[in-house]
Amino acid sequence: MWERNVDGRTLNFHLSGINNQNFIMRDEQTGSWWQQVSGLCIAGPLKGKQLQLVAHDELPFALWKREQPTGRVLMPDERVAAKYEPADWEEQYARLRVVTPTSPDDALKPRDLVIGITVNGAAKAYPMAKLEQQAPVADTLGGAPLVVLLDASKKSVRAFERTVDGRALSFSLKQGAAQFTDAETGSTWEFTGRAVSGPLAGRQLRRVNVLKDYWFDWKIYHPDTAVY
Amino acid sequence: MTAASSASRRPRPKHSRLAWLALLLVAVATLAVIAIPVYLIMPFKSQTPRALDISFQLKRWSPSATALGLLATVALTIYLWRCCRWFKRTVLVLLIALAALLTWLARQNHFEWMFHPLPAAAFAKVDDATFVTDTDQVMTITVNDEAVAYPIRQMAYHHVVEDTVGGVPIAATY
Repeated sequence: MWERNVDGRTLNFHLSGINNQNFIMRDEQTGSWWQQVSGLCIAGPLKGKQLQLVAHDELPFALWKREQPTGRVLMPDERVAAKYEPADWEEQYARLRVVTPTSPDDALKPRDLVIGITVNGAAKAYPMAKLEQQAPVADTLGGAPLVVLLDASKKSVRAFERTVDGRALSFSLKQGAAQFTDAETGSTWEFTGRAVSGPLAGRQLRRVNVLKDYWFDWKIYHPDTAVY
Repeated sequence: MTAASSASRRPRPKHSRLAWLALLLVAVATLAVIAIPVYLIMPFKSQTPRALDISFQLKRWSPSATALGLLATVALTIYLWRCCRWFKRTVLVLLIALAALLTWLARQNHFEWMFHPLPAAAFAKVDDATFVTDTDQVMTITVNDEAVAYPIRQMAYHHVVEDTVGGVPIAATY
């Protein structure tokens, strides 16, 4: 998700091409081409400019409804609704071809889903398969202590800085609940990153942006990435 | 004065070979301007930065290049019209049709033929969103307390949806 304001001008974007299986958009105002996954302008008068990221989540609809009961939802366009992806689109996408070169000694397969995180210029890919087994995962990236949380459906991921009042917390899953506990204070935390009970009740962890991506795509845009 | 006598008074073109060659070159060049980027930025193919750059430049100049091509084709056809009989004249007309088609194509976005854009996106309240199931994945943002969900099954088709959320113009992309 990107802000459409660049240098005080609001741009309108159109799908206009594809670059190694990630799409290119063209802005009406200058005709420049922008890479969807990176927000970087790759050709045209605005080449080199970077769109401002708007942090987003990928969530099951039920979870989002609970968190945002007054939100609004994009409606289908009835003229093309028949062309929308089927309910099992994730399985179908996982079988699609990959056309960019891949390394045979890579531990990950090109279409493995990873959670990509960049902090202070350091990039790391957290394989979904590993997160499903181990989340919440505590790590330190670019000097920042992080925690990566999974929701109850094990599909959605959020990452937070896990330092509160100068102390790095270590989180574990609370038994039988879609909540988390920190070992240091015993407070209970939700997937939103907010403590709901215990000594830290009411505190909110700082969000860190995550990108759910295929391994091959993450690697193209972060060639020096580490892998968790 | 009959049409035939008027025709006989106008001289046949002197440089008809040269004109035919020019016609052919215009047709090949404008066809290449349109076809090369389509070929280079095909889905399920790998692209290099150089291929992208070539495609960008060709797409950028194709509207004016094809318009000039059409103009040149019409001019050369007028010049050549007296040269020959119906067979070659049919070829001339076809070349004009091709030039017109290319000029039109240069102004089209075939990616938006495949994936229709959503210039006026409509939204429903959470409780009215019966078109999304509880387990469907949605992309969500919250800006200045305004929360919006974009169902991924729709986003994976449209790819780009423009919106203004909490006063901020954004592009939801997938």
